[in-house]
Amino acid sequence: MNKMEALITSIQGLSGSLGDLCALHARLRKAEDSLRINSNVQLSILKQLDPSIHSLGYLYILEASTSGPVWKKKATLLIAQFINCCDAGQIRLASEKFVILCKRFKDRVFKDPLRGVGPMLSAVRKLVQVSPKRLTALHPDCLQLCLQAKCYLAGFSILSDDIVEVDEPRDFHLYCYYGGMICIGLKGFQKASELLYNVVTAPMHEVNSIAFEAYKKYILVNLIHSGQFSNSLPKCASSVAQKNLKNWCTPYYEVGNYYNDGKISELEAVVVAYSSDFENDNNLGLVKQAVASLYKRNILRLTQKYLTLSLEDIANMVQLPNAKEAEMHVLQMIQDGQIHALINQKDGMVRFLEDPEQYKTSEMIDVMDSVIQRTIGLSKNLIAMDNSLSCDPLYVGKSQVGRERQRYDFGDDFDNFPHFSM
Amino acid sequence: MAPSSSSGLTFKLHPLVILNISDHFTRVKTQLNPPSSSCSTRNIPTSIHAASPQNVRVYGCVIGAQRGRTVEIFNSFELVFDPNTDSIDRSFLEKKQELYQKVFPGFYVLGWYSTGSDAVEYDMLIHKALMDINESPVYVLLNPAINHSQKDLPVTIYESEFHVIDGIPQPIFVNASYTIETVEAERISVDHVAHLKPSDGGSAATQLAAHLTGIHSAIKMLNSRIRVLFQYLVAMQKGDIPCDNSLMRQAASLLRSLPAAHSEKFNDNFLMEYNDKLLMSYLAMITNCTSNMNEVVDKFRTAYKKNSRTGPTGSRFPFI
Repeated sequence: MNKMEALITSIQGLSGSLGDLCALHARLRKAEDSLRINSNVQLSILKQLDPSIHSLGYLYILEASTSGPVWKKKATLLIAQFINCCDAGQIRLASEKFVILCKRFKDRVFKDPLRGVGPMLSAVRKLVQVSPKRLTALHPDCLQLCLQAKCYLAGFSILSDDIVEVDEPRDFHLYCYYGGMICIGLKGFQKASELLYNVVTAPMHEVNSIAFEAYKKYILVNLIHSGQFSNSLPKCASSVAQKNLKNWCTPYYEVGNYYNDGKISELEAVVVAYSSDFENDNNLGLVKQAVASLYKRNILRLTQKYLTLSLEDIANMVQLPNAKEAEMHVLQMIQDGQIHALINQKDGMVRFLEDPEQYKTSEMIDVMDSVIQRTIGLSKNLIAMDNSLSCDPLYVGKSQVGRERQRYDFGDDFDNFPHFSM
Repeated sequence: MAPSSSSGLTFKLHPLVILNISDHFTRVKTQLNPPSSSCSTRNIPTSIHAASPQNVRVYGCVIGAQRGRTVEIFNSFELVFDPNTDSIDRSFLEKKQELYQKVFPGFYVLGWYSTGSDAVEYDMLIHKALMDINESPVYVLLNPAINHSQKDLPVTIYESEFHVIDGIPQPIFVNASYTIETVEAERISVDHVAHLKPSDGGSAATQLAAHLTGIHSAIKMLNSRIRVLFQYLVAMQKGDIPCDNSLMRQAASLLRSLPAAHSEKFNDNFLMEYNDKLLMSYLAMITNCTSNMNEVVDKFRTAYKKNSRTGPTGSRFPFI
């Protein structure tokens, strides 16, 4: 008990400046095992500490109290409160422990995800404060929780930050996969397609299941978004992926092929045939959306061939049952901004128009400005990468410049230069 | 401070004169104070008045033409000044005058120039001495001190007027306003001096860069001046500075004259051109980015490629 008292006083005393914190950190590390054993006193200790000031000590004690298989009920609540008000600077010193704690919290809260979304979001933001463009292990967990809770917007706010540095490939795969699913939930199919593309073309030594699932969704999202399907993977996918991913996706390939032919009835037959497979993969909803998008794709193709068309003709060409349905579809597409057309209800004619965007409004100026700023930022990142690569010893050794420098490097290796005589 | 001239003459000054005076001054100053300041026993040329380099005064004559009420000063030449008698060498002046008359038949001696910060007493003597050539000569004074905060040219033109001081009519110097007038050749040379343009025209890239730099500095200056005005007006509004109605009237008239064309067609065209330029810079940025990316990828492949490049899988990828 005396050790506990001493520990409490040291936590309370040393939570001030950075030097003190390092000393405290060392002490806590030594005291970890003893903390784990004394599970009864842990909660009572926690009452004496303030999470926002004594974050480091609080973190250690919380982690020790949750390391066992059985938790106290209050622990979950305490963790949520702790995450919300802890001090990011102190957490930085023990970030792995923080990550472990949050993962345990997530597992515990998984059945009731809404409770955990807020704390997980703030946890990610606090970790992100350290290095804003780095992917942490918490990002995919937070996204998974948001998916479970169907809080797509909350998850989307994490996705909007650009990630430049990645530590663990698995984290990256999971992040992109869950991110893609969140975007599908929000119907942002373009961003979903990009994220899933990242997973499919990520460098990997062995095929993992994340890539499989991502590839299936990627095919479907591409169909919905741009109506394109190709039998082969993108060129920059790793060779491992290129060999193996196709084997298990035959139902999806069938869907893609029939989509390309453009006949709705055959596509629906294929969907029904493979529906059990789609159910197993939880992709049935996505497949149905893909079928619905085929109508849109066909109508889009009509705009390129005809200037005006009657609603019955549209219904016939797109294999819709009647003109009313055609009108609904066209109206929906006009509202979404996918086509530009005028429907004349008196004689049932649709006139397809050109894109009226003249690019001469002041709103367009704002759009262009923001886009240019983003490109400038991207260019700066690339130049920084270029510079760091130029200083990389691997590069210098192999490049022409490096080889020339070696030629004039007399001091080291006489064996390589037999002509050199002292 | 000399009061303003009331003769009603309009003075037009050509930049050539300013360049000549400054060139004269710089030359003499460098000769007197050479960069290798080892020797102190140099022959001091006779046209310098005082020994210390900052007080060096140079003298010369300005020539030009007078048409009606407009006096246009085109050119200038140097004169020899005798420090002992504090006067200009007359014979030299007349010789030079004859030579210049042959080359520029329409030009007459209009006055003289000197350098310094303000007019001094014995300037009046020189002025009077020149009165027999031109009954009302002008005195052009260049202030060679470099003052970075000063925005105007450090050139003042003085005329002489008879004022009654202490009961005796005396000639004193009075300030005359002037404008700068340029001929095409002068504009090119002034540009050359001001912007140090490459003499062979340079490549297109350097020309574009020089042009854009010029525009950029002009816009920056405009921006800072507007900012000063704005802060002044805000301070007047808050009450920190007493209201100056004439200044506010001037600012109001400036603002009212600003949108030169206010029609919708103008707005349309303006926005369209603006968007076009933005699209062009966007395209340029993307191209720039793509070339950067290309370099990064090349460097990456060189650094990390495996040595066995003849694998069966085409092996264009650095991993596996």
